[in-house]
Amino acid sequence: MIQHIDVHAVLQESVSGVYTDLVTRPTGRVVRECIERAMATAAGDGAVARIDFAGVGCIDYSCADEIVAKLLRSRPGVLVLTGISDGHREAIEPVLAGHRLAVLIERPDGTLEAVGAPHAAAALLEELVARRLAARTPGGTLTLT
Amino acid sequence: MTRLVEVPTQFDDRSFDQFASAFAEAAKDGERLLFDAHAAEWASPYGLVGLLAAGQAARGTGGGGGGGAGGSAERPLLTAPTHADVLTYWTRAGFFREAAELFEIHGKVPRVKAAEESDVLLPVTPVRAAEDVHAVVSNIQRRASAILASELGLDPKATMGFAMALSEACQNIVEHAGTGGWVAVQAYHWRRKLAKRVVVIAVADAGVGFRHSLEPTQSKRFGTRWGDAAALEAALIQGVSRFRDPGRGQGLAGIRRYLARWDGKIAIRSGTARIAIVPKWDDDVPLKDGLPAFPGAQVLIIIPEQGSTKP
Repeated sequence: MIQHIDVHAVLQESVSGVYTDLVTRPTGRVVRECIERAMATAAGDGAVARIDFAGVGCIDYSCADEIVAKLLRSRPGVLVLTGISDGHREAIEPVLAGHRLAVLIERPDGTLEAVGAPHAAAALLEELVARRLAARTPGGTLTLT
Repeated sequence: MTRLVEVPTQFDDRSFDQFASAFAEAAKDGERLLFDAHAAEWASPYGLVGLLAAGQAARGTGGGGGGGAGGSAERPLLTAPTHADVLTYWTRAGFFREAAELFEIHGKVPRVKAAEESDVLLPVTPVRAAEDVHAVVSNIQRRASAILASELGLDPKATMGFAMALSEACQNIVEHAGTGGWVAVQAYHWRRKLAKRVVVIAVADAGVGFRHSLEPTQSKRFGTRWGDAAALEAALIQGVSRFRDPGRGQGLAGIRRYLARWDGKIAIRSGTARIAIVPKWDDDVPLKDGLPAFPGAQVLIIIPEQGSTKP
């Protein structure tokens, strides 16, 4: 089972019904804690959580660190980010690289990409295939199973 | 007795040390201060937010006349510019809206609104809490996208990076200053240096400054070298933070990455030192120490119009 978490909805409910941007540490902390609570209800270590950033405007480096990097460090399951724009990537990639972490991004066509530190990204994709959570398509790309 | 602090006629980051020197001299005996801007001909966003920070410091350290820390009921005085165009611009830039709380203002201030649609991309705006940073980021994306893309030739994708840089610069106040501060963003044609359009972000506060903020975690590492310059170097170049959380220090590092990509400049003044990441088109010095003391931190970010930026 894949759990779906709508970050925009979490932001609107937990922090502000007005703003759509993920900026500042306090905002990131509140949003991450809401996501963690939602994920705690999902099944076991092997669970896949699809974190959807559609509708989120700007993400700053502080929020990328507070949400994505800290979820990756604390969460034993698999995180897949969707709805990621180029602007979001601009914040997330260097933050994860600095931590030597990587995360999966699901593109609009369903294919997966690992971004962050190169070694961690390669290891993440290998692990995903080994655990049969993703499979290679005939074109060589990866999708969730 | 009232001590005079002259506001430079051309008030920007280059003349700020002259202003800081006058401020330090006048404020040392705790008398009430008079900031004299009557002859001002021009002020950059950096000058405007810096003047507010001086007003904040004058109230907070007893320079308001009553003496002693914690401020006084008597606000410092400010004589407004006499030149009508200057006065109108300072008003449109949102300066007087903020200054009214800090200063006893002398001179006639016109009743014009802070700019809605103009080169003032973000009028002088107070930053006290995370909620203020949300408002700043939201406003700048709404107002600045078109100018950043069409006039500066930045890729539309760069707008979000600009908002990120602005957010991180403002968060330095919320997280480290121990007091509120101000931010302003403006686009203008910079004839003196580049003969191009630029967008300028200016952020200032009169809080504790970088040295005080980093002292508990960094001073031992630097030993006798520890001071304002070392603190700025630690924060901007080494990306250290007062927090032990390994993810901290991302903000200034992110700003540096963004500016490297768009050939921009950042300069931070705190206490008696100033540090800058200097692009090829500028002749600023990377680190200055022994400057006239000024409280808090003042940040200047400049992003030039894209294309050749000849030094």
